[in-house]
Amino acid sequence: MISPSSSSASSSRKKKMKRAETKWRTAAQERIYRRRLLEALRATASRAGPRAVKEAADSALALTARGQSQWSRAILLGRCRPRRKLLLKAGGKVRRGRRRPRPAAPVPVAAAAPAGKKVRDRLRVLGRLVPGCRQLSAPSLLEEAADYVAALEMQVKAMRALADALSAASLNAAAAGEAESRVV
Amino acid sequence: MEKERFLSVDCKSPDMNSGAVADQVPRPFLDLGWEQPVHHDAQFESAISSLVSSPSSNPSAGNGSVVVRALIGRFGSICDSGEISQTSCYSTPLDSPPKLTLPVLGHQQQGGGGLPMPGTMADGQFTPFAANPGFTERAARSSCFGAWSYGGLGDQSGLPVARNLSRVPSSHLLKSAGALQMGVPDNGKDASKSNPERMEMEMRSKLGGGMPPSSTSGRTMVGGSANNVSKRKAASKGRGKESPLSSSNLYSPTAAEDEHPDAKICKSAKTNGADKDSVVKQETEQNIGASQKKGKENNAKPPEPPKDYIHVRARRGQATDSHSLAERVRREKISKRMKFLQDLVPGCNKITGKAMMLDEIINYVQSLQRQVEFLSMKLATINPQVDFDLETLLQENMHQEHEPLPQQVYPLEGTSTAFSYAQQPQGSPLQSAITNGLGVSQQPLCPTDGLADATSQLGNFWESDLRYVVQLGFGQSQGAEFFSQSLHAD
Repeated sequence: MISPSSSSASSSRKKKMKRAETKWRTAAQERIYRRRLLEALRATASRAGPRAVKEAADSALALTARGQSQWSRAILLGRCRPRRKLLLKAGGKVRRGRRRPRPAAPVPVAAAAPAGKKVRDRLRVLGRLVPGCRQLSAPSLLEEAADYVAALEMQVKAMRALADALSAASLNAAAAGEAESRVV
Repeated sequence: MEKERFLSVDCKSPDMNSGAVADQVPRPFLDLGWEQPVHHDAQFESAISSLVSSPSSNPSAGNGSVVVRALIGRFGSICDSGEISQTSCYSTPLDSPPKLTLPVLGHQQQGGGGLPMPGTMADGQFTPFAANPGFTERAARSSCFGAWSYGGLGDQSGLPVARNLSRVPSSHLLKSAGALQMGVPDNGKDASKSNPERMEMEMRSKLGGGMPPSSTSGRTMVGGSANNVSKRKAASKGRGKESPLSSSNLYSPTAAEDEHPDAKICKSAKTNGADKDSVVKQETEQNIGASQKKGKENNAKPPEPPKDYIHVRARRGQATDSHSLAERVRREKISKRMKFLQDLVPGCNKITGKAMMLDEIINYVQSLQRQVEFLSMKLATINPQVDFDLETLLQENMHQEHEPLPQQVYPLEGTSTAFSYAQQPQGSPLQSAITNGLGVSQQPLCPTDGLADATSQLGNFWESDLRYVVQLGFGQSQGAEFFSQSLHAD
């Protein structure tokens, strides 16, 4: 490419890129997320299982996003009242129980611009991956995906650091325990 | 594919003539070109090596000569097998294969004409290569190619080129068009200046919104705000070639007296190219963005969409209503976002095409989610083992970059005693607890590992163990007995 899009001089585009890309890469954001993650982990009963940990981590991530993005709102509200409120769109219906796949009527129309059946299918898959972005149009879906990818990267980094630190600590503990028994 | 070879050769030959420095520019093309079957080249290289004259002794130039040889080889293969590549438009240039090869060889024998050679090769090969979307993208990346190919091509095959170009997806065309637009002013000094006009006309007429956004934006950028406004208005009026005169009148300050709407724009491009090659060359997207920004700054919201539309040119024979233009704007938005995602996802630079890029993005998102799951499982297993106080300490560690504090030991010791109690049968839990306590007590004495610092901590350990012992329910008397015994043993 001749010019990387992030270095474009256009203020509007730069703002958007800056918002999405660098917002998640700052150390401050990571610190905020770590704190929230720890709080969440402490809150969860350790015996709840890995799924609860994952949900807690995702909620912490969504919280760090401050609800500015579609997926973060979907996560937070999805947890709050499970499947009670699907207020992603104005006038969303209240659905109970199993979420049935909505008719993809708005999606093809919105994503039809790039043309190509493959592209449309892939956009739909992407919409399923990103939480709460199923019925989104193509450009907003891509924007949400960019934000989500950046957020996920940060989450993985923070969780890995936490896991490593904890495992190192537990290793120390094990070593200490062994040392005790050996000494005695 | 052959197209890439042709492209590389197009770049290569003039570069070889001009100097070795320029060899580096088409190298990416070479790299890309070599992705495709290289084995074909080997046969022809030896046969044609004598024909190719390599002016410079640089290794890169040698590379170029190899490429040229490969290209010739490709010609030979094409001529021999009558192999038609992806597009049917190959048939026309292949009607007279010997004619193609001979002039090429002749040129090469002469030492490689600059423009004529790529011209002859390009006009035969431009049509198929243009139809390859990925190739046009790569073309977009190298301005030199665009200049050369168009320089040679503009004279010969006008309509067929445009016709074939129309098949290319607009997003690629956008980039290629922009690059070509940029590439053209670069070489605007030569006769290629006349060619860009024609090229632009054809492209614009056939492609519609592909090139014009970049070209018009570039022009508007350079022309100045007033001219921009007038040009925008003129362009909006001139949509569909209805009122060229008015637009040309408005445009006269910056352009020549040409009244033809297309030529007028080409003239402006020429002047712009002559004046500020570098500016136009810089970034076509920047121009687009800047002009859009300017549009937003200059006017209120209602004129803003027209400003976007102005950069969009309706295709010949297509409806010029707002729908198609809005569609084009939407497509631009989507391509913008896709480019941004491309920067975000690692390893997406080489991948071209929306579908494949989306594939990569989906894979990346899935892998990230899987990593999160895995890490959460890991944390879940680690969590019960460690007290949560430890986590706060760790958090402080992470934030303040301190090494693990000795206070860490306290909860660890508690847990270790708990473990020992849990593991061993009830027969000697107390003893084990006491031994653990002893072990703990002994640790501060021998400074093998810097676990405990102060005696206060030792006292803590004792207290915890004592409390623990009491809790075991062995009765205070027994606990006291054991404790005294242990003390004596110590």
